[in-house]
Amino acid sequence: MSGILCAIRGGPSSQPTIAASIQLAKETKEIIYYLYVVNLDFLTHTSSSKTNHIAKEIEEMGEFILLDAQEQAKSEGVNAEWIIREGKVVDEIITCCEEIEPMYVILGRPQEDQEDNLLTLERLQAFAERIEEVCQAQVIYTPE
Amino acid sequence: MKIKQRYSLIIILLVTVGFLLSGNQNAAAQEDEDKLYIYGQVQDAQFQSIQNVEVSLYLVGSEKSLTTTLTQADGRYALPINLPIQGDLEIHYQRSHFKNVVIPLPDNTLEILKFGNSVTQPLIVLEREITLAFWVAAAMFITVLILIASGFLHNTLAAFAGASLLLGISYLGVPLTPNLYIFSFAQAITYIDWNVIFLIMGMMMVIAVVENTGIFHWLAYHAYRISRGKMWILLPVLMLITGISSAFLDNVTTMLLMTPITVQIALTLNISPLVLLIPEVFASNVIGVSTLIGTPTNILIGSFGNISFNDFLINLTPGVLLAFVGLIIYSWFTYRQELEGEKSVSPVLLKKLEERGKITNPEHLAKAGWIGAGMLMLFIFGEKIHLLPSVTALIGSAALLIWIRPNIDEMIGAVDWTTLVFFMSLFIVVGSIQEVGLISMIATQIGNLIGNNLLLAMIVVTWFSALLSMIIANIPFTAAMLPVIGYLTLIVPGADSKVLYYCLSIGAALGGNGSLIGASANMITAGIAERAGYKISYRYFLKKGLPALFITVAISLIWLLFRF
Repeated sequence: MSGILCAIRGGPSSQPTIAASIQLAKETKEIIYYLYVVNLDFLTHTSSSKTNHIAKEIEEMGEFILLDAQEQAKSEGVNAEWIIREGKVVDEIITCCEEIEPMYVILGRPQEDQEDNLLTLERLQAFAERIEEVCQAQVIYTPE
Repeated sequence: MKIKQRYSLIIILLVTVGFLLSGNQNAAAQEDEDKLYIYGQVQDAQFQSIQNVEVSLYLVGSEKSLTTTLTQADGRYALPINLPIQGDLEIHYQRSHFKNVVIPLPDNTLEILKFGNSVTQPLIVLEREITLAFWVAAAMFITVLILIASGFLHNTLAAFAGASLLLGISYLGVPLTPNLYIFSFAQAITYIDWNVIFLIMGMMMVIAVVENTGIFHWLAYHAYRISRGKMWILLPVLMLITGISSAFLDNVTTMLLMTPITVQIALTLNISPLVLLIPEVFASNVIGVSTLIGTPTNILIGSFGNISFNDFLINLTPGVLLAFVGLIIYSWFTYRQELEGEKSVSPVLLKKLEERGKITNPEHLAKAGWIGAGMLMLFIFGEKIHLLPSVTALIGSAALLIWIRPNIDEMIGAVDWTTLVFFMSLFIVVGSIQEVGLISMIATQIGNLIGNNLLLAMIVVTWFSALLSMIIANIPFTAAMLPVIGYLTLIVPGADSKVLYYCLSIGAALGGNGSLIGASANMITAGIAERAGYKISYRYFLKKGLPALFITVAISLIWLLFRF
């Protein structure tokens, strides 16, 4: 077991998560794995025929988000890799945990007034328990 | 000798057959000449021809008709009469959703028929009848609108379920009460505008080729290079690229392609992507309306109102370009703080942007360019030979596919069949409210409100469409409004220039800028931006979009007032 898995979606709300992952990596000397999941659920109401093409475009957008995070880590002297997956965020985090077997998993904790987060606090706790069950990684929450 | 006899026999046979055929034709012609007809035409209160009116001749007091016919698409009929007939006659006009009309024939009608072979009846105007079917169709239309607006069901599923239920009620409800009859399957199909369906389908195939060539990445990277990172230049250049693309591709496709690329540019420049994305989607909604093929609403309007590609270019494009200038100024003003100052460019991301800013398939792009130019010529000049836009789109897409020989399964897969089914189903749902008279009722009310005032009509149609398009999907709204605009074009003096169709076009498309749910392109942009961690809330979009709506609609309307 090694490494820190940090799932990000980009934007200002991911900055505390990225910062926490860098801080933890400095303390533990572990490598960070930034994960971005391409999720196309928003296309369910339109343009189903373009799913393949758009998945590629959003994947490229995800690469920029991950490269940006990787650059931030590098500038702090921390080694970081990145992974892109397509599918449901929760499922893909679990799959990555199984594959990488990280020591830590960093998840963004939703603010109380933040309704748009994928995971509510209760769901997040249940999800963390599942991660710990799957790969025995320690789950760390950071405020988004 | 034998050969000579054989030829003689063949000649005799041919002559005999020819004589017999000629005799039959003469007999048929004689029979036709002997037939007598009563001609006439049937319209509704909005001067629209009514098809499938059952026109029957009765002896007064009799319950059995002597002869029956149906009106054609132009509302005309020819009722055949077989003499001898004795007694007083009357004609019955019957059609579902209209009140029956009985017209007694003058006493001398039979005499006139004997001498003149035909009689022409005065124009018959049928009055609408409100039945249970009226309320069922109206409720179904509103339900479909709500389902689409709320996102409770997929657009296509909502429209498809609505169309199926309407037909189901028509057939299964009649045994319970005839008042539940809305229309037959054959009638429902006639409401589908195949010109629209095939135009959209053809364009989808062309777009599928273009979008895989890397042209959007190339354009976006060069927009960055041209602006040299200066935001006040980059913003209008990206808006222009988005706008021009939207004028020829549909807005949803344009924003699906432009949004991820714009996010990449914004991340490279270390700015919020919303500064670029919001003006881009506004530009897409505004410039998309400048051509016949730019938006589905324009395709609907062009086909219904018989408005050509050139008509849109001449009458609408200048006004739209003026509105675009207004939009650029507004965008500069509203994002002035974010646009100021030098941006810290990430070298790693810039390198990545440069790597991706290349044409990936130059051969396909060149071929698509030639075909696209040819299609543009046909759209512009095809009007002179009555070439329908759908035929141009089909010719263009077929030529492109033959030229580049792609994987045909992939190309067929690139056609968004769900959208086509949505349109077909929607046409049937809107057709149902036309059939039962709801559209006529709305048209009459609006006509009464507007009176003979063209200026008032233009203002009402434009702003009514714009404000309503903020909250309901503009495609079903436009489809429902078209017969209303058709009626107003007939009754309002000066509206025969089709100006009200342009007002509807502007209102329905630019109204989409007013709210996040106003246009599909807005929702797509918000969806992708959220995947990059930048949420576009309803409130944020409304705050930025409402002023954009008022500015662009006002400028376009002023242009139309000036033009007409």
